Amino acid sequence: MKKKRFVYPLALVAVSLLLLLAACTPESRSSSGTPTAATGEEPKVTLDFWTFWGSETRRPIIEKIIDDFNQSQDRIMVKHTYLPFGDIWTKNLASIAAGNPADVIVNDYADVNLRASKNQNTDLSSYLAEDDIESRFYPELWNNVLYEDKAYALPFNTDTRLLYYNKEAFREAGLDPEQPPQTWAELEEYAQKLDKKSENGYEQVGFYPLWGDFGVDSWLINGDGGNGYFDESDQAAINTPGKVATLEWLKSWQDRLGRQTVDAMKADFGSGVSDPFISGKVAMYIQTGTYNTQIEEFGQDLDIGVAPIPEREAGSGHWSSGGGFVVEIPKGAAHPEEAWEFIKYLTDVDAQKYWAMENFDNVANIEAAEDPEANENPVYQASVENLADTKVFQVPLSASGYKDLINPHTDAVFLDKETPEQALEGAEKDVQALMSKNQ
Amino acid sequence: MKTTAQARAPKNARKKLSKLARREELQGYLFILPWLIGLFGITLFPMLFSLYGSFTDYDVTSRMNFIGIDNYARMFADDPLFWKSLYNTLYYVALMVPLTTIGSVLLALMLNEKIAGMRVFRTIYYLPAVLSGVGVYFLWIQLLNPSTGLINTMLGWAGIPGPAWLSDPMWTKPAIIMMKLWSVGGGMLLYLASLQGVPSQLYESAKLDGASAFRRFWHITLPMISPVIFFDVVTSFIGGFQIFQEGYVMTDSGNGGPMGSLLFYNLYMWNQAFGLFNMGYAMAMAWVLFVIVLVLTLINLRMSKRWVYYEGGDD
Amino acid sequence: MGRPALSSTGKRKSGEPIDAYNVPVRKRRMKPREVFLFVLLSVGSLLFLLPLWWMISTSLKSPQEIAQYPPTFIPNEFHFENYVHTWQAAPFTLYAFNTLMLAFFAVVGNVLMNSFIAYGFARIAFRGKRFWFSVLLATMMIPGFVTLIPQYVLFSKLHLVGTYYPLIIPQFLGSAFYIFMLRQFYMGIPKELTEAAKIDGANHLYIWARIVIPLSKPALAAIAVFAFNGAWNDFLGPLLYVNDEVLYTLQIGLQSFRGSVQTQWNYLMAGSVIVLLPVIILFFLFQKYFIEGMNLTAGTKG
Repeated sequence: MKKKRFVYPLALVAVSLLLLLAACTPESRSSSGTPTAATGEEPKVTLDFWTFWGSETRRPIIEKIIDDFNQSQDRIMVKHTYLPFGDIWTKNLASIAAGNPADVIVNDYADVNLRASKNQNTDLSSYLAEDDIESRFYPELWNNVLYEDKAYALPFNTDTRLLYYNKEAFREAGLDPEQPPQTWAELEEYAQKLDKKSENGYEQVGFYPLWGDFGVDSWLINGDGGNGYFDESDQAAINTPGKVATLEWLKSWQDRLGRQTVDAMKADFGSGVSDPFISGKVAMYIQTGTYNTQIEEFGQDLDIGVAPIPEREAGSGHWSSGGGFVVEIPKGAAHPEEAWEFIKYLTDVDAQKYWAMENFDNVANIEAAEDPEANENPVYQASVENLADTKVFQVPLSASGYKDLINPHTDAVFLDKETPEQALEGAEKDVQALMSKNQ
Repeated sequence: MKTTAQARAPKNARKKLSKLARREELQGYLFILPWLIGLFGITLFPMLFSLYGSFTDYDVTSRMNFIGIDNYARMFADDPLFWKSLYNTLYYVALMVPLTTIGSVLLALMLNEKIAGMRVFRTIYYLPAVLSGVGVYFLWIQLLNPSTGLINTMLGWAGIPGPAWLSDPMWTKPAIIMMKLWSVGGGMLLYLASLQGVPSQLYESAKLDGASAFRRFWHITLPMISPVIFFDVVTSFIGGFQIFQEGYVMTDSGNGGPMGSLLFYNLYMWNQAFGLFNMGYAMAMAWVLFVIVLVLTLINLRMSKRWVYYEGGDD
Repeated sequence: MGRPALSSTGKRKSGEPIDAYNVPVRKRRMKPREVFLFVLLSVGSLLFLLPLWWMISTSLKSPQEIAQYPPTFIPNEFHFENYVHTWQAAPFTLYAFNTLMLAFFAVVGNVLMNSFIAYGFARIAFRGKRFWFSVLLATMMIPGFVTLIPQYVLFSKLHLVGTYYPLIIPQFLGSAFYIFMLRQFYMGIPKELTEAAKIDGANHLYIWARIVIPLSKPALAAIAVFAFNGAWNDFLGPLLYVNDEVLYTLQIGLQSFRGSVQTQWNYLMAGSVIVLLPVIILFFLFQKYFIEGMNLTAGTKG
């Protein structure tokens, strides 16, 4: 028995080493991203395409688009690899550093210029010189992919935020369900009429500006004439009268409802499982266009309407904020020319229209976005129209990371630790310090 | 390695012993050889690379210019978020390490009893340590809900009004520590394993001498498991400084919680490295953390001479 | 939140559990103190079980019920088909096999090699030991983020990216954490136990395999559980080093239920429960090593 014990570990090592060889050898051969020669035929180029669209709803859609591309020609073969959201970019960075990146990757719209400045994506201007497809895209989105006037990515999809409102709740409160609030004043008036209070607290809150998908950043754009944190000459423009007034206004909502109520209610639904609008806890709610698919899935009985974000005062503009994703060719990709062919296809009308119709997602290609077939859905149509008022900002390179400096100040306002003026003054000072350090 | 051993050998007066000592040295290196291979093969290069990188403006993909101590100077003189994240992390570590250590020792003592259903109890108490991923964080977000969460409900029974855990900057870190306490199962497992090594004869003779239960714990159990306590404390310190996910997942903004109260050191470092690509700066941060942890470990090591008892001798 | 309740009571009673060391294993009636402990542990168990219950309950709900407010503690309807659906939503059978294989190597590699290396650090006197041990501790103190890229580049230069090698090889080269842990255990083993064998002329390999390993079974069992758990839950490792979805693991597969827009909580939780089961079973089985305990007199006789 004792002898066996001595032999046992050694046997285990031997077995595991054998297994190891068996397990690893075949894979290492099959998983290289290099061109594979189809036997007997002309060599086909295989492209590695990394996305984070792995869910049961998204995956079939993107794979259908890839299939169509693979069928449409016989030179290029695209292989789709799903990587979880967020981590996909960690891997992207590591693989660029190691010189074996994907051929095409879906990336965040916000930092195209930062990545370009860091040599992480491929300058597309030589391809665009031969094949100018700039006019396909919304100009706002196109500007976003530029770095020193050269394009480093192609816009793929975008989003915009709208005011969803519960028509049934409107009727109950004696409001006209076809007349959503247009201005902040109306928004407040409606919200108070929609509040339903019982002794246990609020049964229904008419509206609270910071629930939903429209944060302080977005409101500051909305209330400051559509201007972001940086002006046209890339200077910090944080402490502006418009932004101070907006922050004061946001704070007044919390003061009215009470911080405890706001915190407690937000904690109940902020997590994503129980949606406040669908479950009827909130009568008006700001969300993206694709939020409609959630309503269709979980709140079939809801009678809802959508409207542009109310404006600060008549004429100041229904500014909304947007985001989205781009497709780009990582620096050092093995087949940039074939990759270009593929991203051109991904942003062309057919693929974009298919994406839009299946997801009700706003796409970057204007013709596809405005396709009448997709626009039969009223919410989708409203979101497309809303794009005209939607702001997408490129962050000046020297201010990268500015949000970590602004957020603590705006948080402090809602915790009664700073006044709106103090907060924005402090934020501007901090961001200016960061920018001067980085210059 | 061999040469140093041989070079030393002639100094030894007794030849017989030197041969034995040499054999001993050789065997020593044979035993740690796998680790040395790993060290030189895969660990050392990335570490030294990051040390060098901390003196550069390395951004992974476009540049790596030597800039002297700029990163370090900037960190100490010019970066409020560095100090904030360091403060948050120190706060967390200072509370978490003693609490989880005491918690897991006590739990292990209870689970070392021989009463009915102990196997099941041990499995249950270890369970939270196995659970990982977003599910757990999500559960805790629910438990910590200020109005409907279980924790404030229970506090309410005791007549205590619970705080708004995750939205009040004063309570975010205690909330995270509470969550950590709930998964002390890993530490408990270690102590359980270690308690099994305490010879029962020691207790028997102590009992014959009339020592009280507490004295037996203090004079027998504690010294006997002290090597493992030492291990647990050192690794908890190291692990505590690496806290990251909690500040990332458990807050709305995903970037450090209300007023940056959950902006932990590693979270800030991560943002610098993978969000802004300031890898050189992140590497400098990593080495500053290294020095902090090293100093703490050395203090720990010094003090351990006083309270850690090695049955097998300490050489 | 189970902990504070436990520790406060535990503190008052901290001396008492020791009594049990002398209690023979054979069946007998429980003393009042043991009844108290039993009740205490049972109450604590309920709190500790809560997450598991919550996971199971969510995994059996319909999406509509998950969206319900306030959340239900027990599902109104039990949707067992969620499990079938989850398993079929992605090639989970393949992922389970992959993960199991990685976990197998992790357990074998860590248990064997770390015990071997730790023995060297704990029981052999050699020049430079202190130095190397300090280096070992130091390697634990550098956050993994900053070595992630250079390590990836290194494995890439070795042409190992796209295979399991970067995940398996390190498991056989010792882990600082486990080495340190086992060293602490080995240093606690009384010298007399190994000295006798040494005098008889036994070499260290023999002492390690015949005396130290049998004596450190509880610690090795703990490492087996830790290593399995670590490999089973590892996420970033496989994600970085594997390029083909055929080689994906369970944890990566689970992520596909988390969308950028919306999370399918019922499937995510069903998947999590499935993934958790082997770990629970393994722990339950390995426990016998903790329960048996190591009676040192038995160890020396062997």
